Amino acid sequence: MTRRPRTAQRTPETHVTARPARSAPSNVLDSRWFMVAARVLVVLMVLGGWQYVAVSGVLGKDAFPTMTGTLAELARQLGSHDLWLAVWATVRGWALGVLIGGSLAIIVGTLLGLNRFAYLSVIPVVEFVKTVPVIAILPLAIVVWGATLQMKVFLVAFGVFWPLTIQVIYGVRAVDPVVRDTAVVLRLRGLRKFVGVTLPSAAPFIATGLRVAAAVGLILAVIAELIGGAPGLGLSILTSVNAGPSRLPATYAFILVTGVAGVIVTSSFAFLEQRLLHWHESQRNLASKAA
Amino acid sequence: MPTRAERTGSPDVSPILAAATTPSHQRPARAASRSASSLRRLWSGIWRLWFFAVVLVAWWVLSADSTSTFFPPLRNIVGRLYDLWIAGDARTNAWSSLQHFAIGYALAGLFGVGVGALLWKFARVGRAVSPVLYFVYVIPTAALLPAIMAIMGIGGSMQITIIVLAAVWPTMLNTLDGMRGIDPIKLDTARVMHMSALRTVRTVVLPGAMPQIMAGLRHSLQIGVIMMVVSELVASESGIGFFILEAQQRFAITDMWTGIIILALIGSVLTFLFVAVERVVLAWYIGARAVEKKG
Repeated sequence: MTRRPRTAQRTPETHVTARPARSAPSNVLDSRWFMVAARVLVVLMVLGGWQYVAVSGVLGKDAFPTMTGTLAELARQLGSHDLWLAVWATVRGWALGVLIGGSLAIIVGTLLGLNRFAYLSVIPVVEFVKTVPVIAILPLAIVVWGATLQMKVFLVAFGVFWPLTIQVIYGVRAVDPVVRDTAVVLRLRGLRKFVGVTLPSAAPFIATGLRVAAAVGLILAVIAELIGGAPGLGLSILTSVNAGPSRLPATYAFILVTGVAGVIVTSSFAFLEQRLLHWHESQRNLASKAA
Repeated sequence: MPTRAERTGSPDVSPILAAATTPSHQRPARAASRSASSLRRLWSGIWRLWFFAVVLVAWWVLSADSTSTFFPPLRNIVGRLYDLWIAGDARTNAWSSLQHFAIGYALAGLFGVGVGALLWKFARVGRAVSPVLYFVYVIPTAALLPAIMAIMGIGGSMQITIIVLAAVWPTMLNTLDGMRGIDPIKLDTARVMHMSALRTVRTVVLPGAMPQIMAGLRHSLQIGVIMMVVSELVASESGIGFFILEAQQRFAITDMWTGIIILALIGSVLTFLFVAVERVVLAWYIGARAVEKKG
């Protein structure tokens, strides 16, 4: 009686990456718990250093609020209405700007990338405008729209559009020659080729571009609020600065919240990218570093 | 005839590639044909700028009778540009901005590469410190502006500090990433060959990490330019940002536009300079990637 060959054991794959089994490291300094403890220690040292600098007045008497004061103020603000309104205003402007700029960039970039003549003609213009610091547009935007949400959305969309368009164009054009030739041999054309060959090849470029665009968009949103006066976290920072040294803990509390917002944005986009492009992971490192 | 570079869509590296792959005894013949083809490429490059020219002409024509305060005719803008920046003395603004930028960017580059290399060398320290570094990296530096102003007051050193604080992170993190991404086999080979530390750094570590370091430096350049302007928009008595802001507050919109154009030109010239330097530094890498891409 023949026995059916046993199928190979399937190791359960995690969604993100398959972790190889690790043997215990030889040196205690490399073990996991030590690493976590070291990181916590560094954070505590930074907070302690802040407290010391504030209390001892090393960098100027009234320039720094104490760490404890700032954290207390932060806790108080987290319970109050104003902070969340400001966060919502910033997130709204950022999201609208990235959405508008991003979708325009993807559409325009795809159209340009598919046609070689169009791509070669338009690239000099796009590359030139990309090197223009978006800040140059800020006074113009303030003059045209005032200190409003529209000004913020325009600034973010403008800043996001140009580099993302270039990324999309490169992505659409960066098809692996073997894949491209296979598509020719299999006589793939039109929509089928676009969906099956072009889009997957462009995906890592678009993902990297969107991640950078999200981060840049947040920076531009904060700048638009801080300098332009549009409502949001930046404006809260500005008003508490103008209110004088008594409000200094509030200023730093807002700065911390802005930092946390930046962390959340960047890590969620990186996480999404890893999830959606897990099948592309190996090719990403090769091709998409050029951002 | 489309060059190999144009067919694959990769950056135009044919001169570098030709130089890298031609055996030396064939170089003189290649050089002669290379200059003819580079002339041809220059001509086709100029032709490609047609869209650029169309955009400029369209702007000129469409704004010629404009009565809107916000979008004055391009002719007026160009006229004011000449009066203020070429014949006049608004150039001092540009020089002071660029001075601050140059010092800030140089410091940020040196500091970024140095600290990034140290964090790579002492890997455990690097891993322990990276969450904090990452957090500070993603704080929009504009948010730190009031804090820096409170400590350093208004003036050149404040602006340089802002530029350094903002521009150091991309370089530092990219240096760290680039060095981490070096093929460990190469490092082991260097150890096996008993290469001195200096030689390993010079021949294995630096070239291996250089593409990513240059990418980081390029990002730092863009951030540095933005911060140069931001620091002047908020608190300054001179500089391009100050010029633009002051023109806007006076409602001299045409003057403001000239400032914007000058700022755009500065930004693009700096970037093109950087790309030229990058092409020289990474010539071997660009050539190798082009060969790899063609298969």
